[in-house]
Amino acid sequence: MAKTNAGALSLRVTALAYLAFMLLIPLAAVLQDGFRNGAAGFLKSLLNPAAWHAFKLTLWTAFLMAAINAVMGTLTAYVLVRYSFPGRSLINSFIDLPFAIPTLVTGVMLVILYGPQQALGSWLKTHWGWQIIFAPTGIVLALLFVTFPLVVRTVEPLLMEIDPDQEEASRTLGASSWTTFWRILFPAILPGVLTGTLLSFSRALGEFGSVVVVAGNIPFKSQTAAVYVWGEIESQNQQGASAMSVMLVALSFFVILLVDWFEKRRRSVHAR
Amino acid sequence: MPVEIKPIKPMIQRNPWVRPCLLSLVLGYIAFLIFVPIGTLFFSAFSEGAVSFFKVLCRWDVLHAFGLTFFLSLLAVFVNAVFGLIIAWVLVRHDFPGKKFLNALVDLPFAVSPVVAGYMLILLFGRTGWCHAWLQAAGIKIVFSLPGMAIATAFVSLPFVIREVMPVLQEIGLEEEQAAHTLGANGWQTFWRVTFPSIRWGLLYGITLTFARAMGEFGALFVVSGAVSGETETATLFVFRAMDERMYQEAYAVSVVLAAVSFFVLLAMEALKKRVREEV
Amino acid sequence: MKRLFRLFFIYGCILTVIALPACAQKKENEITLGAYTAPREAYRAIIPLFQKYWQGKTGKNIKVKQSYLGSGAQARAIAGGFEADLAALSLESDMEVIRKAGLIKNDWRKNGSLGMVTRSIVIFAVRAGNPKNIHDWQDLAKPGIEILTPNPKSSGGAMWNILALYGAAQRGKVPGYEAGNQGARNLLKDVFKNVTVLDKGARESIINFEKGIGDALITYESEVLVGKKSGQNYEAVMPSSTILIETPLAVVDGYAGPHGALAPAEAFRDFLWSREAQKIFADFGLRPVNPEAAAEVSSQFPIPADLWTVEDLGGWGKVVPGIFGPGGIFTAVMEGIEKEK
Repeated sequence: MAKTNAGALSLRVTALAYLAFMLLIPLAAVLQDGFRNGAAGFLKSLLNPAAWHAFKLTLWTAFLMAAINAVMGTLTAYVLVRYSFPGRSLINSFIDLPFAIPTLVTGVMLVILYGPQQALGSWLKTHWGWQIIFAPTGIVLALLFVTFPLVVRTVEPLLMEIDPDQEEASRTLGASSWTTFWRILFPAILPGVLTGTLLSFSRALGEFGSVVVVAGNIPFKSQTAAVYVWGEIESQNQQGASAMSVMLVALSFFVILLVDWFEKRRRSVHAR
Repeated sequence: MPVEIKPIKPMIQRNPWVRPCLLSLVLGYIAFLIFVPIGTLFFSAFSEGAVSFFKVLCRWDVLHAFGLTFFLSLLAVFVNAVFGLIIAWVLVRHDFPGKKFLNALVDLPFAVSPVVAGYMLILLFGRTGWCHAWLQAAGIKIVFSLPGMAIATAFVSLPFVIREVMPVLQEIGLEEEQAAHTLGANGWQTFWRVTFPSIRWGLLYGITLTFARAMGEFGALFVVSGAVSGETETATLFVFRAMDERMYQEAYAVSVVLAAVSFFVLLAMEALKKRVREEV
Repeated sequence: MKRLFRLFFIYGCILTVIALPACAQKKENEITLGAYTAPREAYRAIIPLFQKYWQGKTGKNIKVKQSYLGSGAQARAIAGGFEADLAALSLESDMEVIRKAGLIKNDWRKNGSLGMVTRSIVIFAVRAGNPKNIHDWQDLAKPGIEILTPNPKSSGGAMWNILALYGAAQRGKVPGYEAGNQGARNLLKDVFKNVTVLDKGARESIINFEKGIGDALITYESEVLVGKKSGQNYEAVMPSSTILIETPLAVVDGYAGPHGALAPAEAFRDFLWSREAQKIFADFGLRPVNPEAAAEVSSQFPIPADLWTVEDLGGWGKVVPGIFGPGGIFTAVMEGIEKEK
């Protein structure tokens, strides 16, 4: 190693201390609080009807969003990589905007656009019966915005690696676009699609800033898990807040670990 | 490996309608999802004229909120850059039991909802928290005060520098460092003269991401800050309060500024991303 | 591009310098008020008057910082470490939370009108012209009506709303619902089936109403009056039977003492009971407790046919666990509504 033993040790200690203080200890605090009445107390808080419903709502909106994102993200990546059209590089830069923009601003934008008194919102409500704000639709929309870059950016590099000659050969041999896509492109980009979709799912589980403005916070109707935690904090139901927090963190973290493991495997297969 | 995305020439299409269909679907989706909301925001913010827009930005509480946001973000960037470099170094160049666990742990802030992050701090530092007794003895206030907000901001933006520097460190490998060491350079010289120039762009990219995330933080700050206007109110907290107080022009104006700043940050991100790809 | 970034950075540094003074710890000549959401405009108008008064009395300038959250949320924040010198909340039971945390040692009920600083009543806000013909509680239970009311977990106003609804039915004043607990429960269920958004505070609720959500809003009379004052064109509808809202105010000596701010905090508290301040409360839709001020503005504030207080329902001690607790009536009703879906 390039450093002396003392130097290396002090670096390690610093790194460990920072991570312990910033991550481990807060995590331990919420774990301890969630299980303060044992596993039975933990489960009881989670299975409380409002909590359970919030959890289910979070899961299905995240799942729906991830599904839409998988499709649209892949298509977007394809269009960006394979086609040329005016404004391409501008749009390419804007793809990452949801990463940079504060989530609260996202929520505000959606409310301005789709609030029932705004032109678009009231038109949608009267003509189609759709309510976007204060309904699960709004939640899915907010989640779609916030996680948009995730699938696009994980699929893009994989698409770029594919030899376009393969595609061209397949077309020349008479295969339809669909067959070309399914047989040649899809297997190659599938890992990227999976990674991006899982990451956007994980991100959506804890999303707060955009959802709190856009959803209705009605228990059993439009209250997501993160907003539920917030409500429990404000009414000092510590056990409830901690239990749901632990659940959310565990699930998100599990998905992220899955993605990490998957990526590592893919890279080692790739390297061979 | 191409440096930037170069469009490939359109191929012989069996079905000539595929391209226009796909293009309009994707572009339409992006327009609907991203551009229309942003456009509406800008339009609404300027609906009462540019003069009133700028007048809002000169309000004392707005300036203070921006200043606080910037201060907290800079602080988070500084702390997470310094410690992030150390952690990335340790995770890549060292070997020790528990390394895999720590490596996974770094992703924790991505898995934690901002509200939960703020709540963790209340559990630790609030009146009934673990550390309360010591803090009270020392006269330090953490929650409902700036230190708590700083910690919350640092928490949510922690992984970015680490995650951007680690792959670069791995790619550049040990040879140059070892060579420098053989030639008599000490640890610090090696790092500064040999390693740092190579990881510079990755580090900067990570810093940009950290800054963007820190600037946009809301949920954790809402829980931890007490929302005292003029003291512990950041730009995002201000927008939230303004929406509550029928100060719509103010809310939109500050949102526009936040969006504009994030746009600049985005440009920096894109430029740096290119550099990183070039180096590696 | 680089120059732009540099400019931006410099601007940011200037802003940071402005922000830095905030980093300094608590100074003298400063008190902090933690209040619920509804009366913020009133306090903002009263505070400059108090500053003038204090300047005249002691020759010093005083800064009054404020935080406005839902009453329950504010109480938990103060009990959890938010160092407010004064608490102005919506419910006596929320004040009790702070007292039980050991932060209020003085007998806060001794001052003013048994510790209460303003009054109000629970009414409805409806769209201009009252298109859905909402005149009383039973109209809220009609199918297809969309109602807004805040979430009782964080909002004091929400609790008042639910109590008003419950009490009106229990007293037999709501046609179609039998007097007594069962009738009250049925009304609660029927109305809450129609609730579309449960927001964090009374203020957030009325903002949602203004955004176009819902046909009717259950809220403080003061919120409707303040909204109308700022140009909104909804109508106020007073039900025939409703609860008298009394909002408490207390000096949090657990924080004010160590801050050295007891004198200004107590002075501010007493100032809020003065005729001057109470008149301003009335300007912002809140019914004064000061008898002279109340007499002056009595024409502004009609008296409902049946006006009663929380004592008529058994007092806070009975109502908080019995209705809002984990085994309480409201909780059961919400779960019942869910099961029926």
